[in-house]
Amino acid sequence: MADPWQECMDLCVEVTRRAGEMIREALQKDIDVMQKSSPVDLVTETDQKVEQLIISSIKEKYPTHSFIGEESVSAGAPSILTDSPTWIIDPIDGTTNFVHNFPFVSVSIGFTVKKEIQFGIVYSCIEDKMYTARKGKGAFCNGIPIKVSGQEDINQSLLLTEVGFKSDPEQFKIMLANIKTILTIPVHGIRSPGSAAINMCLVACGSADAYYHMGIHCWDMAGGAAVVTEAGGVIMDISGGPFDLMSRRLIVASSRAIAERLVKEIIEFDVGRDDADH
Amino acid sequence: MEDPWKREFEFAVEVARKAGAEIRKAGESEIRVMTKSCTVDLVTKTDERVEKIIIGSLKEEFGEGTHCFIGEESVAKGEACVLTDKPTWIIDPVDGTTNFVHGFPFVAVSIGFAVNKELEFGVVYSCLEDKMYKAQKGKGAFCNDEPIQVSDVQDIKKSIIISEHGVDRSPEKVTKIFSTMQKILCIPVHGLRGSGTAATNMCLVACGAVEAFFEIGIHCWDIAAGAVIVKEAGGLLLDVNGGPFDLMSRRMVSANSDTIAQRIIKEIEIFPVVRDDALVQKK
Repeated sequence: MADPWQECMDLCVEVTRRAGEMIREALQKDIDVMQKSSPVDLVTETDQKVEQLIISSIKEKYPTHSFIGEESVSAGAPSILTDSPTWIIDPIDGTTNFVHNFPFVSVSIGFTVKKEIQFGIVYSCIEDKMYTARKGKGAFCNGIPIKVSGQEDINQSLLLTEVGFKSDPEQFKIMLANIKTILTIPVHGIRSPGSAAINMCLVACGSADAYYHMGIHCWDMAGGAAVVTEAGGVIMDISGGPFDLMSRRLIVASSRAIAERLVKEIIEFDVGRDDADH
Repeated sequence: MEDPWKREFEFAVEVARKAGAEIRKAGESEIRVMTKSCTVDLVTKTDERVEKIIIGSLKEEFGEGTHCFIGEESVAKGEACVLTDKPTWIIDPVDGTTNFVHGFPFVAVSIGFAVNKELEFGVVYSCLEDKMYKAQKGKGAFCNDEPIQVSDVQDIKKSIIISEHGVDRSPEKVTKIFSTMQKILCIPVHGLRGSGTAATNMCLVACGAVEAFFEIGIHCWDIAAGAVIVKEAGGLLLDVNGGPFDLMSRRMVSANSDTIAQRIIKEIEIFPVVRDDALVQKK
């Protein structure tokens, strides 16, 4: 049976590669940095140009499809997921890394139909690693199949999460307390590469055993979610319930055992939802 | 101009490259993990084998007796860790063993060389990325033969800072580490990162990807090579209390500028660590 979304995925890979090239070119020049919600929430012209390139290229072939893009939402577009075929786009995941030329910068695109993720693409463009995953067809990095580590023992695990300044002192305290609790289980280590989409791919290819985060967005997670799931990994909500793309939080892991241990240790805080009314 | 250590420097690059190839090969098969000082202080047969290869090659080329060696795994097995005036190779065969065990992308071979207790050159081979960082005193720093330099960011609020949690999970130390992290995040800085290897972290400072790296608890073999690379890339090194850098002190701040270094130093909560050259009871 023909795959109804294969053409979309092929276009997605092509567009993503072009976007990655645009980002690499921009890295050769000076970068003007602007702030969004706070002094540590950065955006550049490149974020905006790359998103325009992606959306216009896709709209040309698929004018009836819907789009949720980070910079469009910043500019006021709605962020509601419908049954319509929807492209969920982060043009530069890891803008802070991009500004500093720190090696983890990615383009992330997830595609949903009837609110279910059909495929995901994450292009780690400084490393030139193209991660792709089509539902039911496995996950790949540069065309080579990848899979999670399968690690089940939390004491042998390497974990990922991100730390950042939070204006809410209570949330800031809990964020750090969670990391301290997990570190002293003990685990082998905790790393912070700086791009949610890449973090998910590092779990997918077995380089890390889990990633958790509260406070990211659907555009950070949609691409990577497909890659991790197709690599045999587990994805769930921080509470242990089913993963919710609009919930602004997740755990991905190499095994249910690791994920459930993290659920036990992590103290939650309210990060709102991407589809909440403003 | 005379370059008395040119032969040693070129040989170090060659040896680091060979060691890196061994590490990559070893990473393709299953890795048996052992532990050293605690359950998260990991070592593998690869660490031990690679160190033997490096020291063996250096002894063969430069003769035993004229040069001294300080290697992480040799010290772990009871060899002395004292820096004398003699030409001394300071070696970490696999910096980032935890990363190596997991296949996380940063694993480095680190080779520093000191004479009269002064560092003359450093080579750090980030072998999974295939990035050869090197620097000789007075001759600049390079990554894959391209010159590199530290960033020109002077505003701490526009900086990325690197630090690591380390392998010591004792509650008092962890509390201080997290307290320092919290203070730095609240400045606020652009971000806090960690690659998992001190040698790579120093190269990230040297090539301008981050503005500073500090850590309490590292060893001389983790930082000897990186120290030269950072300095030659235009950066500086200090002790965490603001005093001069001390290779055997097990602590350090490396930064792109004095401004950034001093600002970080203000926030660091210092905890005691045993010096690398302290006399230790042999087992």
